[in-house]
Amino acid sequence: MDFYLGLAQIVGVHTLLGLSAYCVLLTGQVSLAQAGFFAIGAYVAAMLTVLAGWHIVPALAAASLVAGATACAVGFPALRVRGLMLVVATLAFGEAVRLFFFNFDYQVAKGEVKIGPAGGEGFRQIRFFPENGWSTLDVLVFIWVFVALVMTALWWMDRSRAGAVLRAVGEDEVAAQSAGINVTAVKVSAMTVGGFIAGLGGGIFAHYTAHIEHAQFGVALATFAIAYPILGGLSSVFGTLIAVVFVQAFLIEGLRFLGDWRNLLFGGLILFAMNVRPRGLIDAATIAAVKRMRIRNREPGNARTQGAE
Amino acid sequence: MLKVSLSDDIPALEPGAKFRIIADFAAYDAVADREGNVMIKKSLTIIAALGAFAGAVVAVPAEAQERAVKIAGFGAKSGVVRVFGINSEAALKAALEQINNAGGVTLGDGTKGKIALEYYDDRCNAEEGISVVRRIASTEAIIAVGPTCSNVAESLFGILQKKVGDSSDSGLQFPIIADVAAKGGLAKISEWAFRNVPSEFEMYKSLFAWVKTQYPDVKTIYGGVEKDFAHSNATFGVIKAQAEAGGLQLLGQGEWLLNDTTFSTQVREMKRANADVVAISAHPFTTCGVLKEMQRQGVKPKLLIGLTSSSSIETLQGCGVQAEGIVIPTSFAPVTPEAAKAAEQVAKFGGSADLHSAAAYEIGFILKTVIESQKVMGKPDTVAADREKMRAGLAALKETDGLLGKVGRTADREAIKPFLFVHAKDSTWKVLHRPGS
Repeated sequence: MDFYLGLAQIVGVHTLLGLSAYCVLLTGQVSLAQAGFFAIGAYVAAMLTVLAGWHIVPALAAASLVAGATACAVGFPALRVRGLMLVVATLAFGEAVRLFFFNFDYQVAKGEVKIGPAGGEGFRQIRFFPENGWSTLDVLVFIWVFVALVMTALWWMDRSRAGAVLRAVGEDEVAAQSAGINVTAVKVSAMTVGGFIAGLGGGIFAHYTAHIEHAQFGVALATFAIAYPILGGLSSVFGTLIAVVFVQAFLIEGLRFLGDWRNLLFGGLILFAMNVRPRGLIDAATIAAVKRMRIRNREPGNARTQGAE
Repeated sequence: MLKVSLSDDIPALEPGAKFRIIADFAAYDAVADREGNVMIKKSLTIIAALGAFAGAVVAVPAEAQERAVKIAGFGAKSGVVRVFGINSEAALKAALEQINNAGGVTLGDGTKGKIALEYYDDRCNAEEGISVVRRIASTEAIIAVGPTCSNVAESLFGILQKKVGDSSDSGLQFPIIADVAAKGGLAKISEWAFRNVPSEFEMYKSLFAWVKTQYPDVKTIYGGVEKDFAHSNATFGVIKAQAEAGGLQLLGQGEWLLNDTTFSTQVREMKRANADVVAISAHPFTTCGVLKEMQRQGVKPKLLIGLTSSSSIETLQGCGVQAEGIVIPTSFAPVTPEAAKAAEQVAKFGGSADLHSAAAYEIGFILKTVIESQKVMGKPDTVAADREKMRAGLAALKETDGLLGKVGRTADREAIKPFLFVHAKDSTWKVLHRPGS
């Protein structure tokens, strides 16, 4: 059972990472900086709980704010470019963050041992959860409360004017600008929200892996971050969740027994999924079909309705 | 009528149980017929037949089956460092085959049992390593052997309970003994963590002391390090410190990454430094890349020193010519009858014996000793107690039998292994010096 709870923890954290990229992708921008914001969140939260002795909740709040503020600061110059140039710029930022932590050494003596980030050797003993007696289930609930909050907020935003504005910018920037939308402000806002969510995910990640190091926040993680919402589809926040479950639970865990073949199959299955569902696993047509089905079921004279009566 | 106790009967089917199941279903048939429920009847007949078949399959081997003590192994079986996982799995299988063929282990109640191994791939990824260990902990495995990578060990040992019996610490209570993860001081992270890896501090300390006596004319050293790999990076710190303690002047260092394939800039810097000694702290893949580039640029130091993990067949296969003369301290070479036999056995399982896989091989025999001394039961209902016993047994060890001689155990659950220096000669590893001999 513990294994499945642990797997659900991983799915939760990766969902936050995917949702951080989802926000930016809604505005039509492809950002590879999410791994950088994730790293910032991880290191800030870990330093606050391990070195400063904070409780994890304020530590996560602070980590999210720092990552969000960094995303906002990066957003202004980075979003002046678009398309491939933006991909390169955000990738460069992500690598800069990774290399910063690769060289970041800030250890303090605690008793006989030194604790804190130790450059290339990473940051060990981030043990807030076990040291405070949290069970795997407690950690799982904690993670999914944040996932639920973020998903609800994004779901609500999608249905509000803010969501319409984000999608308008994503669909046609020029048209949106001509309609009076401040495109730069919208993009920077999306980047900031994305950074905030990535920072939150990173903070939790640091605490459930107990050890973090620069190598965990490389290009592979950045690619996963944008792969989740693209694979899941941008029509709904639930698409990202479905994609994370598909990748983490099925491709990575489910196919573990295949050894090296898993890596080959991994790429092949994603290609297959993208070919079969080019607009994502949950696209607009799927959502419309689900809505139609629900309406049909509610209509008077429907078999199910009659059965219920 | 259909008995609810059916499922209770199955695990302990005694002779004739399958016939009782059929009889129970036959009684139900009569009711079904009366009610005219033909579909249910047919389905239940099929289920009864399947149940009888399953009963036969379960019941017959149950009498002949011996108890199996389950252990798990895990490591990188895919990715850049996959060879380490493959070798470890082969070594564990080889050791367990030896043990099982010799009668297995004596369990707590005096019965004989076999040791069964299940090996998992963690891709040298910390997150996947945690997931793998959680999966292993949810099985009947009483201990896990692994991981390959030090970064995975850092995370894994971090999620274990730090101090045994600390009820305020909800960390995982599961014993793990590392065979490959070589970064110094990992076992002290948790009292559930153990290692059977050599002390690189002692190895390089001894090596540079030996260099001082054998190469009195060498004065300078240049270092090269695979910077993004925890083991290489940490050991480079040890090499630098010991080289300087040995009186060598460090002229500089080149850095590269595990996945790098070009090294011309780093080697150009190395050439410019023109040091007497070049020490490369990297695994076989990039060590070979650097050695080939050194040959291309004509860099010929008086002495070449390598990382412990590079004293393997992969280095010789990848760049045997270029590695000619490289000196490496290692805790394994087929220099004793036991070690030669182990190398042969590991090869039989498709692996290669080196200092890491030899550690896995030794672990197989360490586990046998602990299982027997701690009276492990190996039953599904004693899994938690057996894990405790394994931990306590490993912690109590003061000395174990290694392939090169006696292996000491420290209070912080590390090993003090005998070692020797090897050098590459004609694309084979030859023993150059045995400290203390």
